[in-house]
Amino acid sequence: MFEASRASAALITFMGRLDASQVDKARMVLDSVTESCTIDFSELDYISSAGLGILLSTQKRLSESGNGLTISGMNRHIREIFHIAGFEIVFKIV
Amino acid sequence: MEATFERTIDALDGLFAFVERFAAEQALDESALYAANLAVEELFTNLVRHNAGGTRRIEVDMEVADDRLTIRLKDFDVDPVDLSGEAPPDVSLPLEKRQPGGLGMHLVRTLFDSLSYDYRDRTLSVTAVKNLEDSHV
Repeated sequence: MFEASRASAALITFMGRLDASQVDKARMVLDSVTESCTIDFSELDYISSAGLGILLSTQKRLSESGNGLTISGMNRHIREIFHIAGFEIVFKIV
Repeated sequence: MEATFERTIDALDGLFAFVERFAAEQALDESALYAANLAVEELFTNLVRHNAGGTRRIEVDMEVADDRLTIRLKDFDVDPVDLSGEAPPDVSLPLEKRQPGGLGMHLVRTLFDSLSYDYRDRTLSVTAVKNLEDSHV
């Protein structure tokens, strides 16, 4: 199961497993983001290419207005997935 | 360990539960479990997408032998297709040149030591093999 909550305009929390069956939940939250924002991954256990795709689409949209996503709190497995996907040069990771 | 799953994205929860049971039986570590979940999801969704009109359930078979994890998915009554030639995405491109898509198979190819396809008698099989000694995710 996956949950996304928006604590403030600048902070979103992802929790659980972001797979292809859950990606619409992430899309609903990310589509409302219009300015730079941090996504807290500290409670996210798993992400697949479906989740990566919606993150990349959001980042491309935000970059057009000079904004962007920062990702925080990734576990080591997701960090490796980001590395393989080349996302370390696409997102600010803290 | 083998099971069949309805060809819908909603089957993923059942697929993950199947992988978890297999991982517990085989005492797979967290890295191998993550890789197994990812491969099963990416390969399953790829088969569903490429045979959208299919009606048969998709078969998933997992085994560990000689310290190698093998994951094999079979789809039945499939029109001829060649999925082996898909070009990998260029993950070194900057944001403005990146396009969503194509990452799933790239992730599986990187995490597993081999990924192969076989098509015969209208059955498409895709097999991913991972040497568990190099489990690194």
